[in-house]
Amino acid sequence: MMFKHLFKLIWNKKKQNFLLMTEMLFSFLVLFAVFTLLVYYYDNYKKPMGFEYQNVWVISYNNAYQTKNADSLNNYYGILRKSIKAMPEVRELSFCSFNTPFSNNMSQGRVTYHKKEFYHMNFYTADDSYQATMNMQVLEGRWFNKTDVVAKDKPIVINSDTKEQLFGKGTAVGQLIVNGDDKDKMMRVIGVVQSIKVKGDYAPAGLGLYQRADTGSLRWFGKIMVQVVPGVSAAFEGRLYKTMANYMKDSNIEIEHLTNKRTSINYFTLIPMIVLSIVGGFLVINVALGLFGVLWYNINQRRGEIGLRRAVGASGNAVSSQLIYESMILATLSLIVGSFFAVQFPLLNVFDLSAGIYISAMLLAIIFIYLLVFVCSLYPGRQAAAIYPAVALHEE
Amino acid sequence: MLKNYFKIAIAVLRRRKFFTFISLFGISFTLTILLVLTSFIDKVVGDSYPDRKRDRSLYVTRLQESGKDGQSSSTPSYYFLTHFVGSLKTPVKLGISTSFAGTNTYVNNKKLAVNYKYTNADYWDIMEYDFIEGKAFNKLQIDNADKVAVISEDMKSEYFGDIPSVIGKYIEADNVKYRVIGVVKNVPITSYNLYSDIYLPYTVSKNDYKKGRGYLGDFTAVMLASSTTDVPRMSDEYDAMMRRIPMESKEYNKMSSHAESYFRSYVNTGNDNMSGVTIVLIIITIFVLLVTVLPTLNLVNINITRIMERSSEIGVRKAFGASSGTLVYQFLVENIILTLLGGLIGVVLSFIAIQVINSFHLIPNLVLSINFTVLGIGLLVCFFFGLLSGVYPAWRMSKLNVVTALKAQ
Repeated sequence: MMFKHLFKLIWNKKKQNFLLMTEMLFSFLVLFAVFTLLVYYYDNYKKPMGFEYQNVWVISYNNAYQTKNADSLNNYYGILRKSIKAMPEVRELSFCSFNTPFSNNMSQGRVTYHKKEFYHMNFYTADDSYQATMNMQVLEGRWFNKTDVVAKDKPIVINSDTKEQLFGKGTAVGQLIVNGDDKDKMMRVIGVVQSIKVKGDYAPAGLGLYQRADTGSLRWFGKIMVQVVPGVSAAFEGRLYKTMANYMKDSNIEIEHLTNKRTSINYFTLIPMIVLSIVGGFLVINVALGLFGVLWYNINQRRGEIGLRRAVGASGNAVSSQLIYESMILATLSLIVGSFFAVQFPLLNVFDLSAGIYISAMLLAIIFIYLLVFVCSLYPGRQAAAIYPAVALHEE
Repeated sequence: MLKNYFKIAIAVLRRRKFFTFISLFGISFTLTILLVLTSFIDKVVGDSYPDRKRDRSLYVTRLQESGKDGQSSSTPSYYFLTHFVGSLKTPVKLGISTSFAGTNTYVNNKKLAVNYKYTNADYWDIMEYDFIEGKAFNKLQIDNADKVAVISEDMKSEYFGDIPSVIGKYIEADNVKYRVIGVVKNVPITSYNLYSDIYLPYTVSKNDYKKGRGYLGDFTAVMLASSTTDVPRMSDEYDAMMRRIPMESKEYNKMSSHAESYFRSYVNTGNDNMSGVTIVLIIITIFVLLVTVLPTLNLVNINITRIMERSSEIGVRKAFGASSGTLVYQFLVENIILTLLGGLIGVVLSFIAIQVINSFHLIPNLVLSINFTVLGIGLLVCFFFGLLSGVYPAWRMSKLNVVTALKAQ
């Protein structure tokens, strides 16, 4: 009954309320966008990194030693591995493909499992010591070792995201996955490792599978991951650099620390996030001030009406809550329209984000708008409650 | 008349200080955001250091080859650029350089990350780097494969410390000693095709670029036309060349590469089906809409409130014969005065914001500034704002019935 009456009041001032509602609607959409991004980043952030990057360095080299002879190739890198491993500061090292963590390099392909295709699968190639170098967590099965040379189907290790997508709760070890849709390229899962967030703290790990490095891979490899003991000096790094440069005379060598690479890749997600939050914050303040101003003015306009209500016995609280209800109904109406637009994102799967992220963002935006409207109508409502019927009616 | 409107506007602004504050806050902050954005874009793609001959240059930064089994897209190779692009008639100069790559050097037990770039001699003729001291390497030094280097100001101070001249001194990078022959003013990393810490002759590269015959490689090129009128001809000649040259291998059946203006090459996505220019424009449009729609709506709301408050004044003026047009005009003028005032505050705020952003050194050597382009855009935005947020309320006001307006009192 009361709501019906309030609707009538709103309808009577539809022109002015329409503008207010449009403003609330746009605020909701902006907040929805900002919250979607924040929730998405937070969702990724709270997942584990998947490995220990603190003491891991990446050595990049190019124009590597070329030979047709597999033995001398193995020998060449064997000596390099030994001479680096011999340094007391080095704990472990591993040769691997270009798509190292926190770099911009990617190598993606497609796999098929049970006739279902999975795109954007990251293909990593790494040797037997990779898991130890990176301190990766093996969740199921094992990492590669020497016995894999004789395996009939190509052995692979998959990350936990891939396991979840392909096998759900079931066991992954022993399953066969097809590389592309070529039936001859069967790969057998021998282990599952915790996914590594290769694109930094705020980005998803993505699907990934590891292939075992063989002699052929040494021809195109260009990265060595090195785990060093904590707290080594720049002098050691200089020595390591010289060792590499003197051994691989034709190569350009670069040593980078994963800690620095992580900071700089996080930068690229953090900066847009900070800019958007500042812009979003400014818009909210702007809208709040506007809302406050308009509501406040409205109350001054309706002094007569409010005075009359007070005179016929409405309490101060009743008057102020009526005004708050009115603005809440306005907010609800615009939120219904806004939610209609927002809900299209998970329904049409616009940006390939999970529905949960959109829904949490929507809820957050709705709560935020309600809070905003509530706070903005609180003071004008109080002011209305303080109107003395005698004064207000005397003015009329 | 205008003077009168101005006086009234100021009086109205002072009467309702809170509303004035809300309006000014919205206008000035929106303008600040837009100005900082403009200044950033202007700096990143509009700054013409060191390629001051941009208007008669075209850039080749991508080559895409596609076949039925997939596609590869990369910077072109030295062979591709010298053999095919080098044969074009229109360009008077062809500057070739590698994309910058990283290496390290260790000096006084300190590690320095160094980005290096190999270039040919024409590169230095096209680019107008500001030399703090020394000069660039010439064709003879390149042919002799002299181990000489041009370094950036930052590199100079990081490697050699605070000394006046470093010409003739040796810098070690990538385990090789190079003789410094020039020091240039820094280029921010956002000009990623021109940025580097050390510039070296391509002939001293450890990689023998002259050997391969593949089309994809590490190089980009800048073609210089003799005048701006020759630029379209140069582009046409490049496209004709692309149609003529044979496929690199049987795997591919389509090949595409363009000689583009600086901006187009800057936002090139490496994929022909996805124009970088369109993407950038869409992103900017969405962002600008996002930050302007809400404040405009807010302003319209506030303006209506303001006007309704003045209904008695309007009623009196109407009763004495002022036409709707005059009133609308007056209100628009008032609103534009308000927005310009907000704009003024916005410019001041932008100055402060830009100083703060600069002091963070988010991107080394990228110093944002407000110039006339940025200010002009700001003024235009203000004007637009003023009109946009004033038209609807003014229209509502002119519809006001004299009798009701006067009765409200």
